[in-house]
Amino acid sequence: MSIKRISGPALSDLLQSLTGLLLVLFVWGHMFFESSILLGKDAMLWVTRMFEGEHIFGQPYPLLVSAVAAAIFALIALHAILALRKFPASAAQYRRFHQHMESMHHADTTLWYVQVVTGFSLFFLASAHVFLVFIQPDNIGPYASSDRIWSGRFWLLYAPLLVCVHLHAGIGIYRLVMKWAPIPAAQTQQVRRRLKIAMWGIIVFFIALGSASLVTYMKIGYDHADRVGERYHGADGRGGV
Amino acid sequence: MHTIYTDVLVIGGGLAGQRAAIGARRRGQEVIVLSLVPAKRSHSAAAQGGMQASLGNCLGAAGDNEDIHFADTVRGSDWGADQEVVRMFTHTAPKAIRELAAWGVPWNRVQRGEREITVDGKKQTITEADAAHGLITARNFGGTQKWRACYVSDGTGHAMLYTMSNQAIAAGIPVHERMEALALIHDGGRCHGAIVRNLMSGELVAYVARATCIATGGFGRIYRVSTNAVINEGMGAGIALETGVATLGNMEAIQFHPTGIFPAGILVTEGCRGDGGLLLDGREHRFMPDYEPEKKELASRDVVSRRMEEHIAAGHGASTRFGEHLWLDIRLLGAQHINNNLREVKEICQYFLGIDPVRELIPVRPAQHYSMGGVRTDHHGHSPQLRGLFAAGEAACWDMHGFNRLGGNSVAETVVAGMIVGEAIADFCVSPEGALTLSSTLVEEFGRRETRRLAAIAEGNGGENAFELTRRMQETMTANVGIFREAGRLEEAVIILQDLQRRSRAISLRNNTAGANPELVAAYRLQRMLKLAQCVAFGALQRTESRGAHYRADYPRRDDANWMRRTLASWPDAKATLPTLGYEPLDIMRMELPPGWRGYGARDYIDNPQTELRQQQIEALQATLEGADREERQAALMPFKQLLPEHLRGPNQRLGDES
Amino acid sequence: MNQIPVQQVGRTLQIEILRHNPYDPASKPRLQTFEVEEADAMTLFIALSEIREQQDPSLQFDFVCRAGICGSCGMIINGRPGLACRTLTRNLPQRITLAPLPAFELIGDLSVNTGKWMRGMSERLETWVHSQGLEGLDLDALEPAMEPELAEQLYELERCIECGCCVAACGTAQMREDFVGAVGLNQITRFRLDPRDERSDAQFYELVGDETGVFGCMTLLGCEDTCPKDLPLATQIAFLRRRMVMAG
Repeated sequence: MSIKRISGPALSDLLQSLTGLLLVLFVWGHMFFESSILLGKDAMLWVTRMFEGEHIFGQPYPLLVSAVAAAIFALIALHAILALRKFPASAAQYRRFHQHMESMHHADTTLWYVQVVTGFSLFFLASAHVFLVFIQPDNIGPYASSDRIWSGRFWLLYAPLLVCVHLHAGIGIYRLVMKWAPIPAAQTQQVRRRLKIAMWGIIVFFIALGSASLVTYMKIGYDHADRVGERYHGADGRGGV
Repeated sequence: MHTIYTDVLVIGGGLAGQRAAIGARRRGQEVIVLSLVPAKRSHSAAAQGGMQASLGNCLGAAGDNEDIHFADTVRGSDWGADQEVVRMFTHTAPKAIRELAAWGVPWNRVQRGEREITVDGKKQTITEADAAHGLITARNFGGTQKWRACYVSDGTGHAMLYTMSNQAIAAGIPVHERMEALALIHDGGRCHGAIVRNLMSGELVAYVARATCIATGGFGRIYRVSTNAVINEGMGAGIALETGVATLGNMEAIQFHPTGIFPAGILVTEGCRGDGGLLLDGREHRFMPDYEPEKKELASRDVVSRRMEEHIAAGHGASTRFGEHLWLDIRLLGAQHINNNLREVKEICQYFLGIDPVRELIPVRPAQHYSMGGVRTDHHGHSPQLRGLFAAGEAACWDMHGFNRLGGNSVAETVVAGMIVGEAIADFCVSPEGALTLSSTLVEEFGRRETRRLAAIAEGNGGENAFELTRRMQETMTANVGIFREAGRLEEAVIILQDLQRRSRAISLRNNTAGANPELVAAYRLQRMLKLAQCVAFGALQRTESRGAHYRADYPRRDDANWMRRTLASWPDAKATLPTLGYEPLDIMRMELPPGWRGYGARDYIDNPQTELRQQQIEALQATLEGADREERQAALMPFKQLLPEHLRGPNQRLGDES
Repeated sequence: MNQIPVQQVGRTLQIEILRHNPYDPASKPRLQTFEVEEADAMTLFIALSEIREQQDPSLQFDFVCRAGICGSCGMIINGRPGLACRTLTRNLPQRITLAPLPAFELIGDLSVNTGKWMRGMSERLETWVHSQGLEGLDLDALEPAMEPELAEQLYELERCIECGCCVAACGTAQMREDFVGAVGLNQITRFRLDPRDERSDAQFYELVGDETGVFGCMTLLGCEDTCPKDLPLATQIAFLRRRMVMAG
């Protein structure tokens, strides 16, 4: 079945899920790369260089990072526009949903609300982050990033972003499976229970990983606060960002 | 008063009402269905175990046909049924089931090859034929010689009602929900519709129709312990009775189902026993073979219920804080069978008893279940007294069940009656007799009368409480007009009911709230229910014999010499506290199957001299029919096809027929 | 074994009911608490009947079969939708809060017009077998065969009693009145599975291929978790979503 034939609401629903899936995969990958700082400044530098294409082209092209940022931003925008269809559209709807959720004490209903709130926040938090990367693609690196986070006080953005993005992504993936996967009726309860455990495991793991990285960046930034602007050139002193 | 005109007004949205509505609609009549509740919530949905139709597909049904179904039904009725109606019914039942199959009912099907069944407490392996694979299968039910109850797990009525309702929606038939008919508009000879109360707003509306069909089901709620839904208060039969003209037939014929769960009275299907379940007493002894060696647990319902009560009375019941009861054991059927074919039963046990029937015994005791009696009609569901008034299903007494109904014959009857009566209604509407000729003053007069009646209740200050009187009536009926009846207790019941009738005219409402006003509803329904209860009690008192479900301890024998008669009750004087009873004879000389022993239950009955004569006549006739086929033989004894609509007269094809 | 389980009772239940009579201009929604002595094996059907008979005869609620099969008595029981008739009070705390199902028109107190909603849903989704052969059906002929397993699968989906619990438990339905709910989507899968129904996926798409149908569902799974008949709603809706994406 070709995607061209899918149209209208079916396409919207499918695209919302697909963009969500891509964003989640990106975010999870991103987490591993940024947390390379936990392995040391050199590891992070290596990863930064990789994204700038140095390992392929022989020299770094930060514009590549801008290009990725632009693509991610487009995905976020598309995902947000599609998801907005499902948001409460009026104060009355919002009130009814809230009442419903408070009455039901039903985990999946509440989780959806968590997604609405985090999704709404992400539209600003993630956009701000992505925009920054887009306009300053060369401003990424062990010192550059740490200075931004500590001296530039971007940890105030990244801390809530970290929590929001992982709640949103983890819950989103769980919902995505329940929404589309062919789970036999007899196994639904069991599969759901396991998915939920996996979901919370993943959320906790990434928030822990992200927090550790963030603290590490903050620590480097704190130590480097008197030398803001200086780039890290590697333990062997080659190259510098 | 707001007045709505239509060709056909069907009162009652269950299987019978909706099928009649569809039939009339297909013939081009404009139809409106009134229902106390959303149509899909009608009590038809509660039929669990199956629908009898002699398809003869599965191994246990091999060789079945209309003749055997006919004989089973007549024997089940203890020869109280109208045999022509039984013939019409057994002939049409296979067509009904096939129509429903085409409409979407997911009947359980025959699976070819070996499978294990439970018979008489033992496992057996049977092999279903390849040729039958995928055809509609059936399970065993009480009082039948063949496996004939076609089923959809144990949600048969639910599946049928949903399919029927969906077809009615497809046909564009409006169902006016939460509407209750309070009175039939009539001029003493012709029915013109009904005065109806909106159960949401309390507003009265007149529905004027060429033909009015009562399909309101039974009146089990005159009893305290009943499997019936709370809406089964017999209001259709009640308003027919209140015309003072229409009659109710055999109201004393009340069925008690052997397996109501104890103490709530919620039904667990006869399919439990049909599939191999057993009845055990307090010592977990299987007692039915001691009483009924032939059919054991699968004798007819009247017999099994009576034996159960007899056994409890002899001190063999299980005793709990709720009282005495017996056990139904379906553990031997196994988890898989229960989970697939008896899942409603399992749910009911879980939710209402907190037990798992796969591992535990189910406490049961007989509970009121079915009203064989109802609005007396002819073979086409037409009232002989009030033209334009029809009745179908449990609300009617065209008299298919006589004094005991076989399990699975009621859902079958609803649909068959709907098919036949729907046609008759359409025929009536297009006949000169069906013209709408009433004066608007008649409608207004009835409207005013009902408004006055409601106002009288609302403004009453006699101090009586509707709910309390209702409970008193129910307790009296369960205690005095139950499975074992005798003159003393029946007389007492009649007197108590008379007293309650007087008190019911002195009700004070504690509340006169706008809208539905449930207390007002209870009050006006009570007055009608008391009349129905009195028809039952008084009719039972007069009938000095035991027949089917009507068992008189003081007259334990069936008395064909004096009681081959159908009771007809009417209520010509609104102020009276007793019905007027009349009787119409059942003509043995026209019976295809003259009275005899049922094959289970008591062997002892008082013979009618005509039985012997008719038997000789039949034998003589049969001797002249050498070489004739089954249908020709039948037609010679008691022709009935002329009574059916033409499109329902064809022979029913079966597996293995040459065609 | 072989005992009807009973629990020691003696509690005085406090039953708090959200009351309102829209037919009475003076009525305003309010909570009213009734006290009921708990009895053995007491269900909410018994408790509510007792309140009406002994305390407040104007109390409105709907019961029909009182056996959990007709779907009349859906209401919000301590926050969640359920069938009142088969809810044993012994499984509830001493304080019980009852409210009418949201998303349906209120008739009075605990009574809501699920019938009207369901009829509307049925008309809109055409929940009946669509077949050319229904005109002039030969009722004398042997019925067409069907695989036994298929018949059982159909019944599995047919067990819905249209009680409205799934609609009341659905966050989407709270926000969008025109959403067909799990009840509607399940019925579409039921007829889609039925070979007697001749409709194509394209035709089903016309009925549920939009935001008021399967693509409105946000997979909150309130339906799956409250369905009194344990219908496989999550599985069916996911299935329908995949089919409708293909058909779209």
